[in-house]
Amino acid sequence: MINKKKEILEPKYKSLNKVKIDDRISEGHCRTPAYIRGKVGIIERYCGNFPNPEHIAHQLPNPALVPLYRCRFYQKDIWPNYSGGASDTLELEIYEHWIVN
Amino acid sequence: MGPHDIGGENANKINPKDQGMNYWEKFSNGLRIAVSAKKIIVLDELRLASESLGNEYFKMEYFERNSMAMISCVIKKKLISEKEIKDKIAIIKNNFDVPIIELPNKESIKHIHDNKENPHQKGDFVEDEYGEGPPEYFFKMMAIAQILSEKNIISMNDIQTKIDQFDNEFPSRGIKVVVKAWQDKNFREFLIENAKDAIASMGIKLETFADIICMPQSSSIHNMVVCTLCSCYPRTLLGMPPTWYKSRSYRSRVVHEPRSVLAEFGTILSPDVEIRVHDSNADMRYLILPMRPDGTEQWSEEKLTSIISRDHLVGVRIPKI
Repeated sequence: MINKKKEILEPKYKSLNKVKIDDRISEGHCRTPAYIRGKVGIIERYCGNFPNPEHIAHQLPNPALVPLYRCRFYQKDIWPNYSGGASDTLELEIYEHWIVN
Repeated sequence: MGPHDIGGENANKINPKDQGMNYWEKFSNGLRIAVSAKKIIVLDELRLASESLGNEYFKMEYFERNSMAMISCVIKKKLISEKEIKDKIAIIKNNFDVPIIELPNKESIKHIHDNKENPHQKGDFVEDEYGEGPPEYFFKMMAIAQILSEKNIISMNDIQTKIDQFDNEFPSRGIKVVVKAWQDKNFREFLIENAKDAIASMGIKLETFADIICMPQSSSIHNMVVCTLCSCYPRTLLGMPPTWYKSRSYRSRVVHEPRSVLAEFGTILSPDVEIRVHDSNADMRYLILPMRPDGTEQWSEEKLTSIISRDHLVGVRIPKI
């Protein structure tokens, strides 16, 4: 599913690409939860381009549009002591500037 | 990283009962949604203001936190001055009148149920029927609403419309969508492929910036939704998020112990089933499409509607017959 109105930027990643989420520390508003930083997963889908929340929250003029992806992780790759099934997964949305490879 | 970022923390057991909302909460929500709808303040600005509360964040109740965020945003955006709010609160408090009525003892009232007389329980009454006055945050929200209305930025009617929609219209929409998907195979495919357009094709206007993604439950994958960073939820499709969805316990625990959380809702799944947690953290909103229970093949639309609840569409429970 692609948000056609916002399809301006070419996304860098494709479905099933292996990705790592940056583990940098952020200041101010950010939608990348701490628990997922530094973790490795795959791209589930590209969602379209959206204004960077780190810009709009701080009312910066001309906020950048950023490709947004849904990423999928094995729970056991996020939580070392995960007690559920080995196939359990977690998905969340990651803006492209938080992906490092 | 702020006080709101709690996914993965250990926390208490979840109270799976929705406590509903009293009038003060509904009004505050109505104002917030009316302001967002007019794009006067965008959601990320409100989120940032909430996160900036630091140690106070979890000391405050959800709507109190929202009101502090709203005040901070209207002042920062120079829509209203601090003095205007203070003066307006004084006027509202001075004029506010809680009618004093002699209420009978609630527990002494009996009602007929199943042809038997039953005493009322405390839980039969919504909070504001106890005649308690509004909390402090309500005066702040009312002050902002009145000032924005005087400045012709929003109207009190906009807020009332949102309150009415949340009471009467939004909560039934998601259920209607699911019943249609259960009865119409083509619609089901459309919904999974492009939920926003599929829902619009039913004549439902979601009036939201966000995209909706539908995740179908299957015998091998069980989906459930959380927002670890705040309380993102498809409000114009499912109504207000229930109390537990906004709770610290749910937000902290679902991402790292989904099976324990599901068990607290009475949902026990085989270890072979993949649990897929969706952290609704950005611009997508999620609708979980439950499996139609076996034995309902001949059921009418009305009867199917009767077995679906909001909890099924968030993925914490499974419809049963």
